[in-house]
Amino acid sequence: MKNIITIVIRLTVSCLLAASIMGLCFIFTSNAKKHNEHVQEQRVIYDLLGYKNGAKIPDSLALHEVYRYVISGGDRQSIGYLVPQGHGKGFFFVNIDLNGGLLASKTVALGDTEALDPKTRDKAIEQAAGPGYTVKFADQTIVVTNNGKRIAYLLGGKFQGFKTFVNVMLAVDPEFTILGLAVLEHEEDPGLGAEIVQDYFKNQFKGKAFEALKTIEVVKAPIPTEYLEALNGRVSEEASGKLREQYKDKAIYALTGATISSKAVAEGVKGIVTKFAYRLNVLDKILQEQQLAVSF
Amino acid sequence: MANDKSSMQLITRGILSENPIFKLALSMCPAVGISTTVMNGFMLGIAVLFVQVFSSVTISTFKNVIHPRIRIPTYTLTIATWVTVIDLVLAAYLPEAYAKMGIFVKLIVAFAIITMRLEMFACKEPVKDSFWDGLGMGLGFMIGMMVIGFVRELLGSGAIFGFDVLGFKPLLFFILPSAGFFVVGLMMAFFNWIEVYYKRSKGLK
Amino acid sequence: MMMLVKIRYIVLAALFFVVAPLAAQAEGLIVDQTFSGKKEITVKLSGAVDRKVAENVGNYTVFEEADPDIILALGSATLGHDSKSVTLQFKAPLNTAKTHVVTAQGLAGIDKTTFKVSKSYLGYLFGIFISALLINNFVFTKYLGLCVFFGTSKKKSTAKGMGVVFTVVMVVSALMSWFFFNFILTPFNLNFLQIVVFIGLVSLTVQAVDTVLRKVNPILFNSFGVYLVLVIANCVIIAVPLILANNNYNIFETFMLALGAGGGFLLALYLMSSVSERLQLAKIPPTFKGLPIAFIVAGQFAMAFLGFSGLQLF
Repeated sequence: MKNIITIVIRLTVSCLLAASIMGLCFIFTSNAKKHNEHVQEQRVIYDLLGYKNGAKIPDSLALHEVYRYVISGGDRQSIGYLVPQGHGKGFFFVNIDLNGGLLASKTVALGDTEALDPKTRDKAIEQAAGPGYTVKFADQTIVVTNNGKRIAYLLGGKFQGFKTFVNVMLAVDPEFTILGLAVLEHEEDPGLGAEIVQDYFKNQFKGKAFEALKTIEVVKAPIPTEYLEALNGRVSEEASGKLREQYKDKAIYALTGATISSKAVAEGVKGIVTKFAYRLNVLDKILQEQQLAVSF
Repeated sequence: MANDKSSMQLITRGILSENPIFKLALSMCPAVGISTTVMNGFMLGIAVLFVQVFSSVTISTFKNVIHPRIRIPTYTLTIATWVTVIDLVLAAYLPEAYAKMGIFVKLIVAFAIITMRLEMFACKEPVKDSFWDGLGMGLGFMIGMMVIGFVRELLGSGAIFGFDVLGFKPLLFFILPSAGFFVVGLMMAFFNWIEVYYKRSKGLK
Repeated sequence: MMMLVKIRYIVLAALFFVVAPLAAQAEGLIVDQTFSGKKEITVKLSGAVDRKVAENVGNYTVFEEADPDIILALGSATLGHDSKSVTLQFKAPLNTAKTHVVTAQGLAGIDKTTFKVSKSYLGYLFGIFISALLINNFVFTKYLGLCVFFGTSKKKSTAKGMGVVFTVVMVVSALMSWFFFNFILTPFNLNFLQIVVFIGLVSLTVQAVDTVLRKVNPILFNSFGVYLVLVIANCVIIAVPLILANNNYNIFETFMLALGAGGGFLLALYLMSSVSERLQLAKIPPTFKGLPIAFIVAGQFAMAFLGFSGLQLF
């Protein structure tokens, strides 16, 4: 009996000790984790915009986050956008029905940092949508402006790869020509599908115009040597620009031994950009009609 | 000093005669799974080194208070605590490297090598020796991982630490997932061969 | 006893979930709806409908459930000869992994009929099972549990015993971990305790199986008991809860994943032990004796299993 008591006491003490060590560690690292994730995200964003390896980012450059929600209730579904007003004035909530007609628009008092937290944001949207409607976060887009003029959109997206999901971020210019592709997460096979993260594959998407992208194809053929050099960034900016121009309407060259992964990425990118282009048109039309002063 | 010598012996034992990967053949999973680059091997090696050293020292410090009946649960709890700590730290400060190692950092908790060292060494020996033993085992694991990573990265992608050294890819096969088994198997055979050769040459003398 | 009751409830719940949606669909106009091809949806109806209405493309709107504002372009709608089935042809290939919502207007005089088209849930569950068993076999493609794998794959009988014990422990501990993860860790923001909790649950399961088996079936315990000790020191067993925590699986998916992982381990052990028994008779160079040759055989299996990747049954 005495034995059991000592065992229990000692186990409890050691559990408490262990818990306090882990708890302390969690408290100390959680902020750093958030911070580093943010830094990482910013780096990916600026890399995509062409400010590589710590190139100076002009002050006139600004990022504006637009959040999209699917709002459903009763037998009606609609799309809700949270659009920033800029200068810390909060957001506009724009509710658009499935045919592109405006249902409602109102202002939402939400700070920029508050909007970053999914829970607070969801609550604000729920309130704005009114009672009886459930809201579901769909995606977020970043509009990049330079001196108030739109220069790019950053789109996130997730699609089925060969094994599991591939999570990417895309940068497109206002004409929806692809500026860059970054693979954030994937679980493809090393040496085969995992090559999608390599420059020589990702850069093939660079410069593809929207019209070319709509009918994009993937071919099983070796990449021509000069093009490969350019994709890997081994030639001068001028020469690679020329080559990009030459290949801009051509198909994507599949990775050796990973045709399905390559196709999945091409199809996924196509899907993300075409959907975005459609939605942006609808949103822009509404914003203009309603004369909503958004930040971008 | 006698003490120095024994600490050196403890370390070299972990690296050479009782190398966790090539000699004891324990904790093979990461050796096959994520040894595609030297960097991966190095990072996981650091994590294992940390967990091994801290667990050894902890158990050795408290060895007189641990009730023999709950020995194994205590070991598990200790290891799990330190694994959680290193997992949180890596996730926070080195997110990229952490993402590459995936689930294996968390799986350190089930590595046989760590429990074995606690059971066989740390629960009997003084703190100082346990520290050196843990360090030796951790280093042995790290070096083993890095050697496999070196072979696979050099032959598979012609690079070391991510730097292109050969300029071409000799054998893509080595970086493919299933090649881990072959590389480890062939390296074990190679070490056996050296041993046999060494013994034979000694015998001849 | 407790465990049996629990399992019975789980099975009942599973049956309910499988049957309930089927029963709900049976009434009404729509009998069955499936993806009949890459660009096609076929709808079976309970009665004949007017050809003119049914073949008018404008009467249908189809979208993916997650993107209600993107309406998919329809190429044609054709009514079958018996006027009881409609085939919708799309201009672009559909993403059949996603649920599609179809709204038809005026079919059989009903103003608006809405129904969802998706792959069958059972098929999806089976897909998870097959994936864990073959495509992502824990030993040959995820490289987990290798210590025990090489240690216990010398004889077929050992391999079978080990595999079965593993599967049982894995399923039980995975289900418990699921409960803990969903009802304690996530709500209280304690996800960083994952490792400790999961390893604790595994140890607990092993202890429980040990005690139960010893009392209930001593003969079985005598043949399988030895393997129980080995279970704790194995990464497969802890990997399953970690994976399910990563993927936000529900209870059925968890069950299937654990079953597939256990089955995959059993399969791997059995295959390997079959080879090992033969290898004992073979002439192997002395430097390759023991582990080196085992690794090379495992490597060949791994290459063979690579052929399963991309396999899709449903």
